[in-house]
Amino acid sequence: MSEMWINMGPQHPMTHGLWNLRVRIDGELILDVDPEMGYLHRGIEKISEDRHYNEVVTLMDRTCYVAGMAWEHLYILGAEQALHIRPPERAEYIRTMSEEFQRIASHIMWYAAFVQDLGLMSPFLYGMRDRDLLLDLFQSYTGARMTYEYMRVGGVRNDLPHGFTDRARKVLDWLMERFKEYDQLCMGSDIFRRRCDGLGVLSAQDCIDYGVTGPMLRSAGVARDLRKDRPYSVYGQVDFDVARATTADVTGRYLVRMEEMRQSVRILRQVLDWLDRNPGPVMAENLPRWLGAPYAPIGREGYLLKREYPKGVGFAAIEEPHGEAAVYVVNEGGEHPYRVKFRSPVYVNLSAARKYLVGYHVADIPPIMGSVDVCVGESDR
Amino acid sequence: MSAAPQSRAVRNELPMAGDAAVPFVEIEALRSREFIPAAKEALTSMIAEQGQSKLIRPVFNWAGRNSLFPLHWGLACCAIEFAAAFGARWDAERFGVVPRSSPRQCDLMIVNGTVTWKVAHKLITLYEQMPEPKWVIAMGNCATGGGPFRTAYSVVPGVDKLVPVDVYIAGCPPRPEAMLDGILRLEDLIRLRKE
Amino acid sequence: MTSAPAPSVLWPDLLGDALVALEPMEGTSGRIRFRADAAERVFRAVHDAGFHHLTMVGGIDWVDHREVIYTLWSDERKSYLFLTTELPADHPSIATATKVWPSANWHEREAWEMVDIHFEGHPDLRHLLMPDGYEFHPLLRSFKLHEPEDLEVKVRHV
Repeated sequence: MSEMWINMGPQHPMTHGLWNLRVRIDGELILDVDPEMGYLHRGIEKISEDRHYNEVVTLMDRTCYVAGMAWEHLYILGAEQALHIRPPERAEYIRTMSEEFQRIASHIMWYAAFVQDLGLMSPFLYGMRDRDLLLDLFQSYTGARMTYEYMRVGGVRNDLPHGFTDRARKVLDWLMERFKEYDQLCMGSDIFRRRCDGLGVLSAQDCIDYGVTGPMLRSAGVARDLRKDRPYSVYGQVDFDVARATTADVTGRYLVRMEEMRQSVRILRQVLDWLDRNPGPVMAENLPRWLGAPYAPIGREGYLLKREYPKGVGFAAIEEPHGEAAVYVVNEGGEHPYRVKFRSPVYVNLSAARKYLVGYHVADIPPIMGSVDVCVGESDR
Repeated sequence: MSAAPQSRAVRNELPMAGDAAVPFVEIEALRSREFIPAAKEALTSMIAEQGQSKLIRPVFNWAGRNSLFPLHWGLACCAIEFAAAFGARWDAERFGVVPRSSPRQCDLMIVNGTVTWKVAHKLITLYEQMPEPKWVIAMGNCATGGGPFRTAYSVVPGVDKLVPVDVYIAGCPPRPEAMLDGILRLEDLIRLRKE
Repeated sequence: MTSAPAPSVLWPDLLGDALVALEPMEGTSGRIRFRADAAERVFRAVHDAGFHHLTMVGGIDWVDHREVIYTLWSDERKSYLFLTTELPADHPSIATATKVWPSANWHEREAWEMVDIHFEGHPDLRHLLMPDGYEFHPLLRSFKLHEPEDLEVKVRHV
């Protein structure tokens, strides 16, 4: 009997983030797991209670750093519902475009890290190169590569620059060719197939019981995608399919994410066409004065027009690249939100680790955890 | 430098651009059978006087700054820019920087992200596991001073509260070019090491 | 946003006296306020009504009482439902939902850790996000963060 608990993390090249996977092993066989989180717990929910509604957006980029636009969109949808503000339609299309670009960027980042764990070194470089093209697009209209702070309650900060849609279409055409190359490198590789087929199986019933969502759920055959089931923003007006697989294993999740990237390109083409045809404002009119105001200069606190604003509660749920993310914003009439509660998909997907790790070998942990697509910033918040 | 005439001599400089130079050995001495004792005597006297600072230390500095091995470690958002810097566009490895998974093989720890009190103990353990000489770069606003999360209850306001930091890189996150600039500044610092 | 056919006529029959109030919420199936002591019965009834997916369990500190909010999703109705209850501040305790929805495990651990709500029957109520042995419950309103004035700010005049 050689059972022992070993720590994989918080410093471990496999973990892709700061968390600890404690596994109880007997030789190479995994008997039990206990994920240990909290190494990146930054108290975002508590800090948000001291920030203006628009200032919380800066924290959202850092919450999930590979899917910043998606989390900004999530919070802004919740805050707008709590504050009873509607954005103009062009702003909604720009937000959807940002979220879909971010979905592709997040999945490419996932792909680069996932295949690197399996030993494929070149696709990591290809992935980073292609992701940089998307980050250049983001930089052209938000000014930053990763922490955009772009969306605001009532719209977005600024409109798209001239010629953006043409550049974006070129990038999309380039990416569609690259996805074929990624598939050849992985699905055409015998080593990849033999390592990943049948690994890390989490059945559909287990997924639903344990609250697992996103590509993990869809790889098990359950076609739940919040963009289709409960359309938010402009997803009700674009055509796309929900990516699904039936094998519930690592290969299935890989296939689901690759297909999601292709569907995102399809959505983006429709959204870019709409944006070309419909210029307009990107910020709502008649916003309350304190919403757009930063901290008052010292000595001029009267600058902020403090008054009672109608209370409200906002709930939003999006299909974030990792799964279902939700926010619950409590607005008690002040300038700061009273409580902001987030639901992170990675947090819940990791809680089911016992179900999809026990019974496999230690060498199977990198592909399985890679297929779960861990982003610790949003998990720990 | 020992008194060797500079004319008609073979100049033999190690690639340290003015930091040190091996003393000259006269050409006549090269041709004669006294070359070896002459060279040995010249070198011995030079090393005895200032070899440590003019010969050995610059070589170590040169080797060390051109082969900084950071710990393969990412804490938060800055780690994504750290990873992007190792892509093909901002190839960090051309500076000799190769991430290593084990702290025993590293001499550089780039703290890229928010440091929480929960990870502080592990961070200090990793730092202590690194062999000397070692350096720490605080990358990003969170590692420098807590960043946007400075007021949080679980965040250490800057990693310099835990380990000594050599270079601070500002940014949230700093671009990959900024991170490479920080590494180059560290290389300048290492160039000036005297012991 | 699709709005599911509101099943509000069913809830009083299903929940009986455990139901305190029913409120509509825009874009969802509504918000059910229930009595905390009948929690297990309410969870079982809501689960059997088709809400198999527990999205999140959140705690809110309202100083004189605490609120727990359960968010549920139904694949058949394609809609969210909220269950909320109020717990007294001196004895914030409620039955665990892990017997009905195993995904509540980590949500309840975090709710205990942050807002000091005790879940009876939880298999493993220990710290998740904070280090072991952390005595405070950070998301309570009585737990104050540093004031910005306490932090050093250097202003340079150019």
